Amino acid sequence: MALFAELRRRNVFKVALLYAVSSWLIIWFVGAIESEVTLPAWTNAFVLFVLAVGFPVALQFAWTYEITPAGLKKAVDVDQTQSIVYKTGQKLNAAVAVLLVLGVLAVFGQRLLPTFEFLVPGIPEGDAPVSARAPAEIRSLTLDNGLKIIVWPDHDIPNIVMYNFVRAGGRNEYPGITGLSHFFEHMMFLGTSNREPGEFDRTMEAAGGANNAYTTADVTVYMDWFPRSALETIFDLEADRLQNLTTVAEVVESERQVVYSERRSSVDNDNFWKLAEQVQATAFVAHPYQFTVIGWPSDIESWTQDDLISYYRTYYAPNNRTVVITGDVTPGEIFALAEEYFSPTPAQEPPPIVRTIEPEQQGVRRVEVESAAQTPLLHLAFHAGAAADPESLPMGLLLNILTGGEASRLHRALVEDEGVAISVGGYLDEGFDPGLAYFYLTLPPDGSPAAVERRVLEELQRAAKEGVSEAELAKARNIMLADHWRDLATIAGKAEMLGRYAVFHGDYEKLFALPEALDAVTTDDLRSIAATVFRTRNMTVGVLRAPEAGVAE
Amino acid sequence: MIRLRLICLALVGCLFLGEASSQGVTLPGAHHIELENGVVFILHEKHDVPLIGVHATIRGGAVSDPEGKSGLSSLLAGLLEKGAGDRGAAAFAEAVASVGGSLAASAGLEAITISGEFLARDSDLMVELLVDMLQAPALEAEEMRKLRDRRINLIRAAKDGDLRRLTPTYGNAFLFGEHPYGTPVDGSETSLAKLTHPDLLGYYRDFVGADRLVIAIAGDFDALAMIGSLSTAFRDWRRAAAPLPEIQPLQPQQGRRILLVDKPGATQSYFWIGNVGVDVGFPRRAELDIANTLFGGRFTSLLVDEMRTKAGLTYGVRSVLLRPSTAGSVATVSYTKTETTIEAIDLALSLLARIHEEGFTDDIILSGKNYILGQFPPRLETAAQLAAQFAELETLGLDESYINGYGNAIADADAAAVRAVIDEVYPAVDDLVVVVLGDAETIRDDIAKYGPITEMDISEPRFRP
Repeated sequence: MALFAELRRRNVFKVALLYAVSSWLIIWFVGAIESEVTLPAWTNAFVLFVLAVGFPVALQFAWTYEITPAGLKKAVDVDQTQSIVYKTGQKLNAAVAVLLVLGVLAVFGQRLLPTFEFLVPGIPEGDAPVSARAPAEIRSLTLDNGLKIIVWPDHDIPNIVMYNFVRAGGRNEYPGITGLSHFFEHMMFLGTSNREPGEFDRTMEAAGGANNAYTTADVTVYMDWFPRSALETIFDLEADRLQNLTTVAEVVESERQVVYSERRSSVDNDNFWKLAEQVQATAFVAHPYQFTVIGWPSDIESWTQDDLISYYRTYYAPNNRTVVITGDVTPGEIFALAEEYFSPTPAQEPPPIVRTIEPEQQGVRRVEVESAAQTPLLHLAFHAGAAADPESLPMGLLLNILTGGEASRLHRALVEDEGVAISVGGYLDEGFDPGLAYFYLTLPPDGSPAAVERRVLEELQRAAKEGVSEAELAKARNIMLADHWRDLATIAGKAEMLGRYAVFHGDYEKLFALPEALDAVTTDDLRSIAATVFRTRNMTVGVLRAPEAGVAE
Repeated sequence: MIRLRLICLALVGCLFLGEASSQGVTLPGAHHIELENGVVFILHEKHDVPLIGVHATIRGGAVSDPEGKSGLSSLLAGLLEKGAGDRGAAAFAEAVASVGGSLAASAGLEAITISGEFLARDSDLMVELLVDMLQAPALEAEEMRKLRDRRINLIRAAKDGDLRRLTPTYGNAFLFGEHPYGTPVDGSETSLAKLTHPDLLGYYRDFVGADRLVIAIAGDFDALAMIGSLSTAFRDWRRAAAPLPEIQPLQPQQGRRILLVDKPGATQSYFWIGNVGVDVGFPRRAELDIANTLFGGRFTSLLVDEMRTKAGLTYGVRSVLLRPSTAGSVATVSYTKTETTIEAIDLALSLLARIHEEGFTDDIILSGKNYILGQFPPRLETAAQLAAQFAELETLGLDESYINGYGNAIADADAAAVRAVIDEVYPAVDDLVVVVLGDAETIRDDIAKYGPITEMDISEPRFRP
């Protein structure tokens, strides 16, 4: 008990408490700034080590020394009647109290206030949007190597989305390497000089993230969805595969089989794509949009390592990509991470431009596919515009009026009233170069493709001659407006739309001008685009049906 | 001084409690109202975008289809969109589309669901259309005939298309047979052809009514005003006339049964390997979700890693749990080129055996937990998602802890419990139903080694022999 009393008299317990509270504050502070500035990975361990080693030292010090009016003296040398340990004790108590209150205020303060940015010299703030319509919190930045980054903070859920848009797709291919863009999408998950095949996904999923990717005729897009805690891991993973990808021969061979399996399920064993692939190849005779994005079978079987390596160098360079990040982030932390992880990759010569312009079609083209089928298919395709063409918006509205849902003209006429089709749909290519306005119909088993083709043409020509009503236009506008808001209801939708507008329209801010742009479209615009596009000499017709004899269904 | 010290300690205590707060997602608060006739409303305001979402469920669904009349509840759901109140089919579709809205009804195994989304400014119209669909659907004979015939042809078209979509239908139909869970939700060509207009009216009277209905609405609207208008509209609505069927759980398959569905000329085989599984109230749900994620629920799962990444046999493979109100099914689903059918099925069976023998290591279990927790928040991000979640919980008789306690349950699950759940839920390799769709002539002989084969043609107008 004497020892206990003496420990107490010499304020050893109070020093221990003060030490503990100070340590807690220091650890909290390091944790708090960690998310704002980039600290070395060993920082936490180092701080803990120093604090742990310091603890016995501090206690020993408190035991041995004592504060006196004449300064620090060894406790054994101090005359007990002159000791001021009680006053020192009070001061220690006060210090503990003050630190605790400070700590509590700081911790709560940080939770209640919007995240405060540490202003680290050298980290750019990015550009705010110019237009008043765009949300003011968006920031964009182009790194020195040409990589564009757009950040839209949204703290609704503790998650983040990173979409990486690469300007590489089917239109950058040629006979012999068709499907390479899509195959490359697969290779991007299969190992780098730092990571084994499969390690990319294992690391990401273990950190709580998920990912996928898609390839179109124009772009390849890599999508990561992850909790905030995985932010730096994702930067590390993405930077690694964008800089250090390897193409190991046996991995390429195995993945070739996976892609072939994908082709077999999505094209060869699916009548819709079996026909669509042929229509696409027939509608374009010069432009590379004629190539199927998944690739012709012989190309899937034969592209080489060299094809892959040169493709990677050219098309995956930072100056050919745009990164969009939305969710629970601040622009400052993203730009700091981008500088650290993405800026070391050097820019490359821009990829060769796609020179070929599809010559004007001189007359109707037809393609037939024979395939076991109970229900015949009819596809009609017309050359239309590119995403950035001003005619694309009226064309999108027009397609909506013709094929968008149960109230659309073609559904009502052909499916509900006449029963000559069991389903009808349509879409508009919106790519870098002029694409197709596409109609697809499934007919009942006894349906007549020729008769339905005539009916569709009548409806399209009616739109070209008589136009559409104000009410129809208002309906299509409302549908596109509701879709617009639905897109912006999730962080994934925000990333997709910002990226698409940045890449295909040259400026993400145009996304926010869509409501006004819709209002500006007139019924005359729709009639005029219908007259331009829906001409028979601009049309490709595809029919899929069972062979005349020999297939019993 | 002492008092100050106590306050400080209390504050520190609060901080630590705060740090230890629950993992995962917490459902936001909502107004929950039940009328005397049994209708339940759940309303939640969310003002981030000018949209309003509705999700209504009517307990019943395909399990309440009369014998031999599969697809009746689904057909009824389709007809709820074909005119109601003062509007005929075309006018109803036009009313929804003209404001850019959506409002669609479909049937599931145990409920009919109506889900829709409108711009916030059109919330009154949304309620009007919803009330009409439920209380005054036209259910015209001619519209019924058109939709029924079209659905029959759409099934034929689906059999011409990508068979990944139909594989589970054949699988569950063969496993469950005459049991209600064997019913193809949208019917078969044969069962649809038998449906009559009196069947439809009878189903509406017997299985649609106030005591079956839950309406959840979330989004940019005024909840108090909405309570008023919904209460007025539904206060006097009738109840359903017939009781819901009681469903007894099916006993798991002992030994093996094989179904071969012939699609002549197919260059790919699709397979479904499963047995009876668990129900939605299964108490070790967190452990099962972890096990299923690791077995076949994510890209680095055992099935994908071995069958796709390492062996290149397939583009996709999954382990699928169907968890209705009594025991559903657990199945491995995949496809491969015709020549590797046996290799792929053998591998899938060996992986099923492997999880029974080896389970999963601690670090993989931790990875699975992180994955589930990290991917959960985006599932409840939008008003429409929240509305669906509220409605589903209420329909299944589950409370908020099903969501709010989920994060902690995942975080707390231990390896031994995950191990135990594997043996409890996943079938032994000797007790299985195997369904293969493909070119029978090429694969028939080799498949015989898995067990006794029943064979049918894909063009047969049904989903089981």
